[in-house]
Amino acid sequence: MSEYSPIVPREAVERSFAKQGPKQYTLWVDIEHCIGCNACTIACKAENNTPVGVDYNRVIEIEEGDFRDASKTPNVGVTFVPMPCMHCGQPACMAACPVGAITKRKEDGIVLINKDKCIGCRYCAWACPYGAPQFNAEAKIMEKCTLCVHRVEKGLQPACVTTCPAKVRFFGELNELTMVMKERRAKGISISVGGADTKPSVQYTSK
Amino acid sequence: MDSLIELGLQVPVKLDSTLCSRFRCTKSECAACAVVCPAPGAVRLGDGAGNNSAAINAACVACGACVAACPNGAIQLQENDSRVAQRIAQKVRVGEVFRFSCSRAQGRADMVQPCLSRLTEALVLEPIRRGAQRVEMCAPDCSGCGLKKAAPQWERTLAFSQALCESAGLGAARLSSVRTPVGDAEEIRLPARAPNSRRRLFGSIAERWKTSGNAPFPESGVADEAEPEVFRHLVQRHSENPKRMDLLRVLDALPGLKVTTKEVSTTGFPLAQMEVDRRCVGCSVCETLCPTGALTHREEGGTYTLEFDAAQCTGCRICESACYHQVLHIRETVDLSLLFERSRVTLLSAQLSQCRGCGERVLGDAAEYCLACQVSGDRRDTVARSFFSGGI
Repeated sequence: MSEYSPIVPREAVERSFAKQGPKQYTLWVDIEHCIGCNACTIACKAENNTPVGVDYNRVIEIEEGDFRDASKTPNVGVTFVPMPCMHCGQPACMAACPVGAITKRKEDGIVLINKDKCIGCRYCAWACPYGAPQFNAEAKIMEKCTLCVHRVEKGLQPACVTTCPAKVRFFGELNELTMVMKERRAKGISISVGGADTKPSVQYTSK
Repeated sequence: MDSLIELGLQVPVKLDSTLCSRFRCTKSECAACAVVCPAPGAVRLGDGAGNNSAAINAACVACGACVAACPNGAIQLQENDSRVAQRIAQKVRVGEVFRFSCSRAQGRADMVQPCLSRLTEALVLEPIRRGAQRVEMCAPDCSGCGLKKAAPQWERTLAFSQALCESAGLGAARLSSVRTPVGDAEEIRLPARAPNSRRRLFGSIAERWKTSGNAPFPESGVADEAEPEVFRHLVQRHSENPKRMDLLRVLDALPGLKVTTKEVSTTGFPLAQMEVDRRCVGCSVCETLCPTGALTHREEGGTYTLEFDAAQCTGCRICESACYHQVLHIRETVDLSLLFERSRVTLLSAQLSQCRGCGERVLGDAAEYCLACQVSGDRRDTVARSFFSGGI
C-alpha cells in the first residue's frame, strides 16, 4: 500500500517539503471517513516508543442518537475524532511553561518540548485546551506529539499519516493542504474551544 | 585561554547563572543588574523565550554595582566580598567613624571605591560589626559622574542597611551619607609593619617551598570535557546565596544586638513573606525554581509540607509569577526581624493521594484520578464533542 493517498498525492507533500521560508506543517483529519481503528495511535506509540499511559495521539469516540425511546426509530451513530497536538499558532502551553522548555519552530511551525529543560510541572497540560501534553511518569517530564519531527526532517511523513488504513489523515504545509483540499471541495475547520483562541493549525473535515 | 587578546577581553565579573532568577524562570522580569549597569552594552538580558538569562560581556567596567544589586548574589567581582570585608576589618578603629568614599569625593576616607554602589549591605555593616561607632558614605553629587546610572544602587543599599540597623536595635543614625565636594579621595593607609627586606622575601619563599613544594599542580581542562549538566537537573540543585550568607553572618555578630520588629514594604527591599492558599496542587515548581532554596517541601507518610525560610528569600518573586495556579501570595510588607530569627514557616500541609492515571502522588482528597489527568481527559472529550454540539 502506498504511503500517499490519492487525495493528497505525493507531489503535494513534496511541494510542502520544498516550500521555503517560515511555514506551518500540519495534519488534516477527515473525521467523516475515520473508522476508529486506532492504527494511528499504535503507529505513533511504536514510532515514538512511548510508555503505557503516554499517547501523543488519542482517538475520541462520540456516540450520538438514542435507541431507548420506543416511540421513535432508533437512530444511533458513532464518530471518531483523532486528537493529536494541534501545533497552535499561539500555543497556550508555550505561554504557560515557566522555564521556556516549549518552543514553536519558525521554520516549520512545529511546537516542541525540550526534554533537557522540562521540569515536569505539567503546567502545559493545565493550559492546553486540547489535552495534548502527556505526563511521562517514568522520566518525570512532559511529552507530546512532535509531528514526527525526526521523520519530517528527513522528508518523510509522520508515522500516523503513512499508517492510516482509511487514508483520512493527511500531512502537509497548511496553505498547501488547504489548496489541495479546496480542489476536493472539502472545507477545513480547526477546533477552537473556550475563551482563548490558540490558533490551532490541525484541520478537520466534518460531515 | 588561547591568546593575549582573549586575556584583554576577559570579563572582570563572574556570573553564576544557577543563582540568576532569569536563568531559572523565563517568567522572571528581574533586571536588577541591567538597571544599575553604567557601561553601555555590558549586560544583556535574554528575551524571555528560550534563553532568558542575564549575560555580562567584556564591556564591563568592574564598578561592582551589579554585584550589590543582584539580590541572589549571582555576580561576583574578582576581589570578592569577603576580601573587601577583610580589608574593612583591618582598617576599623573601634569607637570611631568609618568612612567609605567614592574616588570622586574630596577628603580622606578609610576605604575608597571607584563607586559606592560596589558596597553590599554586609560590607556597609561590617565596620559596625567590628566596633566602629558610625559609618559614613561620602560622595559628591552623582549626577555629574560617568557612573551615575549606578548611583541609585548605593542609596538603596544604604536605606536597607539603615533599616536593618534599626531592626537590630542600633538606630538608623549609625549609618549616614555625607555630600562632599568633587575632588581627589585619599585612602588612609594601614600603618606599615616592618619594611620589606630582601632577607624577608627570600625567607618567605623558602617557607612556602617547604610547605607546598610537593603539592600537585592544579589540573586544568578536565572539567571542561564533562558533558554540561542539563537544565532540568541543574535547577534541582540550589546553590548558597553568598551575598545573603555574608549578610546573615554580619547581622548575627553585630555588637549590642537587640532585635525589634520593623515592617517595611516588600517593593525595594530584597525580602518577602508569603502565604499559600488551599488550591495548591503540590507541583513544587516554586521550590524547584527558587534560586536560593528558600522554599522546601517534605513528603512524610501521606503528608505534603511546604516550608519557607524567610532569611534566605530575596524577594525575587519567581515563585509568585511562576505558579500557574496563582496560589502563592507575597505580602505587601515584611518584618526585618525575620533575618535575625531564621524561623522556618510551614506554608502548607496537606494530604497526598495517588492518581490511577499517571501514578503520581498529588494533593487533594483521594479521588481516583488527579485533577491534571481529569482536566486533560475532559478537555479532549469537550473538544471532540464540540463538532456535534454546534460549538464551532
